[in-house]
Formats: sequence, structure tokens, C-alpha cells
Amino acid sequence: MNTLTTIDELGFAPALQQDVLEDTTSDHALLEATRSGDQDAFAELVSRYRNQITSYIYRMTNDYDGAVDLAQETFVRVYRAADRYQRSYAFSTYIYRIATNLAISELRKRKRRKLVSLTGFFQQSDGGEPKEFNPPDARPLQDSDLVDTERRNAVQRAISTLPEKYRAPLILRDVDGRSYDEIAKILETSEGTVKSRISRARGFLREKMHAYL
Amino acid sequence: MRKNICEVTRRELDELMLDETCSTTAVDHLRECGACREFHEKQTKLRQIVGSLGTVPAPADFDFRLRARLANESSSAASPFSFVAWQSLRRGFAAVAVLVVFAIGAYLVRNALNQPTAPQVETAKQTPAVRETVKPPQEIVTPNAAEKPKPEDVAVVPNKRPQGNRIERPSLVAIFGNKKPLATRELSNTRAEVVGNTESVGTSAAFPIDATSVQFFKFSVDDGRGNAKTISVPTISFGSQRLMQNANQFAPKRVW
Repeated sequence: MNTLTTIDELGFAPALQQDVLEDTTSDHALLEATRSGDQDAFAELVSRYRNQITSYIYRMTNDYDGAVDLAQETFVRVYRAADRYQRSYAFSTYIYRIATNLAISELRKRKRRKLVSLTGFFQQSDGGEPKEFNPPDARPLQDSDLVDTERRNAVQRAISTLPEKYRAPLILRDVDGRSYDEIAKILETSEGTVKSRISRARGFLREKMHAYL
Repeated sequence: MRKNICEVTRRELDELMLDETCSTTAVDHLRECGACREFHEKQTKLRQIVGSLGTVPAPADFDFRLRARLANESSSAASPFSFVAWQSLRRGFAAVAVLVVFAIGAYLVRNALNQPTAPQVETAKQTPAVRETVKPPQEIVTPNAAEKPKPEDVAVVPNKRPQGNRIERPSLVAIFGNKKPLATRELSNTRAEVVGNTESVGTSAAFPIDATSVQFFKFSVDDGRGNAKTISVPTISFGSQRLMQNANQFAPKRVW
């Protein structure tokens, strides 16, 4: 009677290995490995999300250096709370929620600081976000690259003037392309609220960007 | 009715992703309604512009900085007196400090409330004694009662000292509630010892004035024609000596 000594002899080795491979590369598995002290697993997580998180916070705060700091703080918090992480949500939802909270608290800190800025002269009387005076340049531009750059800068400025409750869902939807369900989980609100806020945000942007549309 | 269809169509267009196709109902409405068609075009263009923002890459040293930050935090957390530990202990220290300050304050207040009567009694006892120091010069002890000055003798003795010279501030004790007695020596009620010529100078502990000097000062005046006149000056006593040893800083130094 032959005794099976290796798993290959079972005949379904390739499928099993594939499952193991997928499991070890999932975000959950990487976080489990991080929890057990695997630094390389955490480095893999960082390499997967660093650009997304940095970009998302940059779109929220319109400050690149601050966004890099906050992105690092996001990963530090993930690392510290690896033991308390629960699998009920996707890891991307979890890390985006941390990043959103950090970005919103940074925006509120800025609001408290009340920096003297020219935008303060155009603050709305109802206490809303300041509307930046951003008249479109009517002169024709020779280069299409310049046009694109100018348009992107205008969009970024327009987004940064949106109220924070409209800003986050708009970025998550139109820039990052996330689903309403995921956005609702990240922002800890309902899907209906998310849809409504995105619609309002687009309405604000249409008014601000009418010269480019 | 048409307005409702426009709202429904716009909501559907709003919720779709750019690459998704809308329903046939919406397509039919877009063919008919120019306003919704314009809305759809502008909305699509806006979303394309926003979507063109893309991803901003993290800096190249992102991983390195993150590792350094984590290493720094872990090393600081390992030390017993780390900043994080201090942050957690700070509230405890603040609470203990508040309790200590409160206890000291309560102790001082209780002391102040319990002891104001004692100095007042002392003051009340001392005040008449101070007033008794103003005595007429008749009570001045003369060394020898038989040697009273004769009427013809010119005795330069002040009848009464001006009251203004005596600075009485017994109320200071009551004001400040100081338990300590004033740094004074009240000797006005102490009778000066009469010391004879045989005794050594300065042996009297009660009144440290050289008693040998307590004698009549006599001198004779002769006008050159045989008319001599003897003038006897009795001892002048100032009664008491009250030395203020920095007890009254407002009074001039060495006030008698």
C-alpha cells in the first residue's frame, strides 16, 4: 500500500496552491501577517495604498506636504490598531475611513485657526465654506497641455472650496470611482445621503466651472 | 408630469458611472428634452474633468519615512519615561497638584479663622500699658528726697511731653493678626533702680541706664562782684525707652 507523502500526490495541488497564494496576497492576510510581526507584509500593504491614500487626502486638503504627513499617520494608525482590526469591512474601506477622519479633522483645525486669507473676503454669510474668487481666464491658450493643466487646477481649487461633507463623497465617487455602498461605509452614512451629497456637490461644481463646460 | 420625468432621468444619469449605459426610458427622454440633454452633456463633461485629476503619487521616500516614524514611536514607547507615558501621567500629576494646593489653602484658611482672637486680647492688654507710659514728670524718682530743688533753683523739667512724640500703633497687631509680639521692650512701668555710688556701673538689669549719673547737676555762677548763685538741675528722665526694632517700618528710625 502506497503512502501519500506530498500534497502533490492528491491530484488537486494546483488549485490548492492557487487558493493559498490568493489568500496570502489579500489585504486581510497581509494585515494578519503584520499582526504577527511580519514587517514585509505591512510594507506590501503600504505599497498598495500609499498612492491612493496620499492622493485622496491631497484632494481633500489641497496641500501635498500635509497630505503626505496625514497619509503616513494613516498607516501608523493601521499598524498600531492591527490587533483590533475586524474583518467585517473591507480593508480599503477601513483605511479610507481613517484617512477621511484625519483629513476632516485637519480641515476643521484649519477652520479654527482662521488664517487670514483673501478667500475670507468671499466667505458666505451663512457660515459656509469660503467661495474662492476664481474668474476664468478668457484669453486663448496655445497649448492643449496648458489648457488641461489650467482646467485641472481650476477643478482642484473648486473642489477645495466645497463643504467637507460634499467634498469627501465627490472625490470618492468621481475621482476614485468607488461605489455608493463603499462610500456609505467609509463615511458611515446611508447610501441615500451619499447620493444626495454627490448630486449637490456636482451642482456646486457646475456653477463654479461653468466657464470650462 | 414632464417635470417628474426630467427629475427621474437626471437622477438616473447622476447615479450612473460614466462608462455605464442608461435605461431606454432615459434615452428616449433625452431625445425629446433639450434641457435634460444639455444637463447630461455638462454633467458628463464635468465628471470627465474631475475624473481626469487622477492619482497624485506619494513621494519616493514615503516608505523610508514611514519606517523611521514607526521605529521612532516604538523606541519611544519602550522607554519608561517616554513622551507618550508622560502624556498619560500628566493628568495624574495635575490632579495631585490640585489636591495639594487645595489642602494647603484649606489649612491656611483654617489657621487664619481659628487664631484671630489671641492677638486682639494681647493688644487689649498692652494698649493701656502703653498709654500709662505718658506720665507727668512728678513721678520721676529723684535720688534723694531731701534734696528737692528749692524754689529758687531753676529746674528745667518738662511738664508734659507732647503726645505726638509717642507713636502708638497697637492696631497694627489687630490688622495683621500677627501672633508675634511687637519687637519692643516696654519699660515705662518699670521703676528705674536707684543705684548708689558704691555700686558698680551697669549692674542693674531692670533699667540699663547708668545710675551713677542720677544726681543733681550743680554749678555756681559768679558775676565777679561776690554775687554767686548756685544752679541745681535735677535729673531728667524720659520715662521709658521704647526702641522699635523694625516693627514699624513707617516710623523714622530710633524714635523715642
